[in-house]
Amino acid sequence: MTKTSLHAVLPWLVLALLAALVLLLPLPVAAAAPRARRFRIEASQFAYSPAVLRVNPGDQVTIELAPQDVVHGLSIDSYPVDLQADPGQVASLTFTADRPGVFKLRCSVTCGNMHPFMTGKLQVGPPTLLWRSLGLALVALAAALLPRFK
Amino acid sequence: MDAGRIAPQRERRARLFLLALLAALALVLLAAYLARPEGVLVRAAMPEQGGWLPAELKARVGEPLRLRLISEDVTHGFAVGRHDAPAVDVNPGEYREITLLFDQPGKYVYYCTRWCGLNHWRMRGTIEVVSAGQPGSDGQAAPAEPPLYLQLGIDIDAPHPAAVVPEGRPRAELTAGRISGLPEHYRSREYYLSHSPSQAWQALRQEPAAQALSDEQLWSLVAGLWQAQTRVERLEFARQQYNQNCAACHGAQGAGDGVAARQMADGAGSGPVMGMQGHGLQKPSSFADPGAMLGASPALLAGKIVRGGMGTGMPYWGPIFDDDQVMALVEYLYTFQFDYSLEVKDE
Repeated sequence: MTKTSLHAVLPWLVLALLAALVLLLPLPVAAAAPRARRFRIEASQFAYSPAVLRVNPGDQVTIELAPQDVVHGLSIDSYPVDLQADPGQVASLTFTADRPGVFKLRCSVTCGNMHPFMTGKLQVGPPTLLWRSLGLALVALAAALLPRFK
Repeated sequence: MDAGRIAPQRERRARLFLLALLAALALVLLAAYLARPEGVLVRAAMPEQGGWLPAELKARVGEPLRLRLISEDVTHGFAVGRHDAPAVDVNPGEYREITLLFDQPGKYVYYCTRWCGLNHWRMRGTIEVVSAGQPGSDGQAAPAEPPLYLQLGIDIDAPHPAAVVPEGRPRAELTAGRISGLPEHYRSREYYLSHSPSQAWQALRQEPAAQALSDEQLWSLVAGLWQAQTRVERLEFARQQYNQNCAACHGAQGAGDGVAARQMADGAGSGPVMGMQGHGLQKPSSFADPGAMLGASPALLAGKIVRGGMGTGMPYWGPIFDDDQVMALVEYLYTFQFDYSLEVKDE
């Protein structure tokens, strides 16, 4: 009785261990040395260009906001960034990207009818959350298929 | 006991209750009336949607004018020309209350300070301020003297090509020591205001004192004369105003390539300009072009700023900047031609 139940439980234990590893294992990503980065973001109704900023944790990030048509702003979730500029002006600001993750860029000045959808993103470090959730999905798939191979 | 009758005490209580209810309602209405927001409601909308509503206000000298500003669409700004109240932002969904006080009668212009759309620069309104003393009397401001370009009889619509242009960009600091040997009238404000740099260069070329100078050195001398007519604080003030009000069309470097100019027709001027159709509308002028810029006197440039127009979308700034501020802007425009070194003291 005990023997058969152990035999039945073992694959699940392995899968659970795998899931824990996927969630907690430090990723073998070489930490890049922090450096200074400068982005010139041209803002026009209703998009940023570039809209995706990729930096490494610890980088000194300088953002220059250059509106191209009307007054625009730029704020970043979780970072103390809030810029505003009229076209013809450039507003700039430097901060340290000390929080890894993906954060949304948002226009902070009501610039027109599609203003709420004027967003972009700041990606600090590799998207580990994405990779871990993909790994977890694979483990879940294996768990779903497991009874078929018995 | 009669079942259909209500006891008199109960009826009295019900009447009292109703009276109290009415009294409370009256009190609430009175409180709401007393606490009502004061001031004139001014709504801001993009010029295509009507601009300032209302666009004409009235006020009296010495009496505060309270305004409640709100935007109907995007972020706007509110400021009054030739008045020292600071500009405020006007956001949708948010009342902004300001109080203005005028100590001179006259017609004031209020304008949008945030680039709210293609026609932002058309968003203007007027406040007519009359003397408090005599209602009904015209209470007008003392007539201002005509602008300098009219006094000098300059046609600001005519082309003004420079007769001579330098090879490179003149640097003012080369000449710091040489200016002292010149006849005094070249250094006067009057000469500066009424002459273009190329006219000054041609006049100086005839001067015996300047015979030894090369053409390039002579241009440096002109740049030095122009530099001597301004100061660092004036250029700094003008730079801020330029970036806020002019750079969107004329470009941060003065090349006439500002972001708003991209949507404009080219020199032929028959396409849609700033969202409107029209004939003869052209791109903003370039202050980086020596052929036009060095042929323009300060009085001519000031006239263009004050009056606007010229077949372009240039707004008029006369009611917004005072004469001294306009002149500071003109001094700044010449920095697109000359390299100044304002550490050097000429005296």
